[in-house]
Amino acid sequence: MSFWKQFRPKSCSVSLNSSDKTGVLTELVENMVKSSVLDKDLSEAALRTLREREDLASTGVGMGVAIPHVKLPGLSKVVCTLSVHKEGVEWRAIDGEPVGIFFTVLRPERAGEEHDPEAHLEMMSWVARLSREADFRRFALASTTKKELVDLLKEMSAV
Amino acid sequence: MPVERTVTIINSEGLHARPSGALVSVANEFQSELRIRCGERSVNGRSILELITLGAGCGAELHLSAQGPDAEELLAALIRLVEAGFEG
Repeated sequence: MSFWKQFRPKSCSVSLNSSDKTGVLTELVENMVKSSVLDKDLSEAALRTLREREDLASTGVGMGVAIPHVKLPGLSKVVCTLSVHKEGVEWRAIDGEPVGIFFTVLRPERAGEEHDPEAHLEMMSWVARLSREADFRRFALASTTKKELVDLLKEMSAV
Repeated sequence: MPVERTVTIINSEGLHARPSGALVSVANEFQSELRIRCGERSVNGRSILELITLGAGCGAELHLSAQGPDAEELLAALIRLVEAGFEG
């Protein structure tokens, strides 16, 4: 599996530092725009949609991991990033633990040439398998560069 | 003996994060142990992460297995949830 190839180091982060949910979501979207994986015109909608999704139910899936993911009209292909907050942030996660690892996924509203919903579910399944691995979480939290993060995804692509 | 039931996923998105969260919330209202199998893979029914790893899409069959004092009630509640497309 090569889902890791969808993660560009430049849009990931090892140094999220906001102290609340809105701040972190804003950082996540800003990093996508700065690294040109997300069009600036879509950033407002992306942030709003991510916040609405959190209001519906927290994306904190436990073990210090959150998977903020939404469909975003106007997007032609999936955008995904892996970002780390060393201290962890309160996220109303299912287990009540603060979240330090964020898999953020924006995807097109409809299936198209560059978006296959079946593959998306497979990728989410892979992200969940990775997240259950203590080694993955430990190394992700200890990463000091964005490239290290994506190298870790590559190394664990067969999980 | 565990109580077992099978239910088919009908919502278009399948069993990803929010539906998995809804399922865990329902399961947590009961005491019985819960395992959920899809294809060859069987997981703890009280973990969102484990449930997402099933990669269960629309049309997939979930095999629910519960053991404990309220196993029947737990499975009945889960079947209602899945059959309502997790909107219950």
